[in-house]
Amino acid sequence: MPKVQLAADAAPGRGGRPRRVASSLAEINVVPLVDVMLVLLIIFMITAPMIQRGIDVNLPVARRAAQISGERVFVSVPLAYRQNHIVYLGDEPIRVEILRERIRQQMERRSDKQVYLRGDGGVQLQELMDITDRLKDAGVETVGIVAKMPGER
Amino acid sequence: MAVAVAATLGLVSPGARSQPRQAPAQQPPPQQPSEISTIISGEASAAPRFAVPDFIASSTDAETVALAKTIGQVLWDDLNFERDFALIPRDIYSTIPAAKSFDDVPFDRWRELNADGVIVGTVQKTGTGVRVDVRLFNVRSRQSAFGKEYSGSAANPRLYAHTISDEIHQQQRALRGVARTKLTFASDRDGERMRGTVESRGVKEIYIADYDGENQRRVTTSRSLNITPTWSPDARSIAYTSYQKGAPNIYISNIYQGTRDDLTKDIAQSFLPSWSPDGTRLCFMSTRDGNAELYVVNRDGSNPRRLTNHPGADVSPTWSPSGTQIAFTSDRTGTPQIYLIGADGLGLQKVTSEAYADRPTWSPAPYNEIAFTARTGPGNDIKVIDLATRQLRQLTFGEGTNESPSWSPNGRHLAFMSTRSGKSQVFTMARDGRNLKQVTQGGNNSQPDWSK
Repeated sequence: MPKVQLAADAAPGRGGRPRRVASSLAEINVVPLVDVMLVLLIIFMITAPMIQRGIDVNLPVARRAAQISGERVFVSVPLAYRQNHIVYLGDEPIRVEILRERIRQQMERRSDKQVYLRGDGGVQLQELMDITDRLKDAGVETVGIVAKMPGER
Repeated sequence: MAVAVAATLGLVSPGARSQPRQAPAQQPPPQQPSEISTIISGEASAAPRFAVPDFIASSTDAETVALAKTIGQVLWDDLNFERDFALIPRDIYSTIPAAKSFDDVPFDRWRELNADGVIVGTVQKTGTGVRVDVRLFNVRSRQSAFGKEYSGSAANPRLYAHTISDEIHQQQRALRGVARTKLTFASDRDGERMRGTVESRGVKEIYIADYDGENQRRVTTSRSLNITPTWSPDARSIAYTSYQKGAPNIYISNIYQGTRDDLTKDIAQSFLPSWSPDGTRLCFMSTRDGNAELYVVNRDGSNPRRLTNHPGADVSPTWSPSGTQIAFTSDRTGTPQIYLIGADGLGLQKVTSEAYADRPTWSPAPYNEIAFTARTGPGNDIKVIDLATRQLRQLTFGEGTNESPSWSPNGRHLAFMSTRSGKSQVFTMARDGRNLKQVTQGGNNSQPDWSK
């Protein structure tokens, strides 16, 4: 325990009694603590942005990946929806009036009541909200709005 | 009684009316596919999905339009009741153009809704009543899978829907539907007071209703206590307990003749009649020998025979579907429990070990179960015991008190009394306890019995 001895050595200067082993420790030497904390802080500062962005991860290739995403229900709203009111359930074009019934049929047998809404950027928010209402009416609990990252194609 | 007005059924071969005469000549091979595929199936073992739009009124007068609408709606409810088809909700139908006849059914639109079958019907007024023509179309093949024509009185349009529902269940699923069956129950809804009693007590009278609670009618008018009604197997008579001569006795009302038979002829006190499955005998409880015992008599009251002999009370008999056994309640071991005995009085066995069990009712084939009332806390609940495995399941769970179960003739539903909505009311539910439906509304209604 070299630090304790060092503190004890310093004691004679104040009390005038050398070699008093029982004298109290005047103050904690915080220098090593600060060193360690600084190192930890720097490590976190560097890693935190990387964790958030999740970049530079090379996803493994798996043949089943496409099947899992295929079980999800996607409703696509193309720009032409504004004229013909036709949405796509998966890749099947259906009129928006019967979307609620078709989704209700799909939700009946599912435990996760989720639908992913793929709206064209040119579709108005009001129109997407209208479709979201129809989905909620059909028993959908979570409507995910699918977006893409800048630069992603 | 309007229920007596049965529709006369005219058989029409499926699709025969809608096809032009020269069709066979244009298609040299025989139309075998349409003959084979009359059973409509759903996708991948799911129930077939049906749509039942409003029927087509052949004329525009208000009465025909109302009839057409009613028949379509009731048919939807009837088909939905058995849960053997997935019915597309009616509110979406407004987005689909209504057909004008059998020839312009918008199959593409129904296919878009994932429908496997669509039921289209026409209603036409005739000189004496109405003619209802109905087709079940396979939406994929556009072929008619079921077609029939009915004509009769316009007094009870619901009966057409009930008949169509039962026949479609029979033809498509080989299932005996319950749409034309009836319930009977005791009720104090009219608030009448008993004659000749000092305190002028309230009365209960016997009522009947369709299985869905419609067309409720009163059967008895004796202004006394009339309870525990039970349908004869031919559903033309109701046996019940009545206090109209002071002591409780059993009477049989022949509802289509309007006559009444006195079964027990005022010997002591008699309660709780139960018909044998062939309708020739009745079992009931009587105190004619001093203690509550079970007796079997012929339909006309002759040849009474004592079935049980024990100092405890033996009450509430129910026949097995084969007629060889009778289940009943007895308190011979202390608390009331369910027992079985042969119809010859031999082979007694105990079935339940509940805190309190009463009002057994034996399910029809193919199930071999007894539903009964069991005390589960402050109130009672409906439980069912499988007689082969002796496995017990509970159908209601402490919402009010639940008593007096009665099976539907196909064993897929139960009627029972519950106080969950306040007063005692008659409810129906599926045999697994789901699809609860309140059947009665006004007054106190209890002791339902489902016609066979």
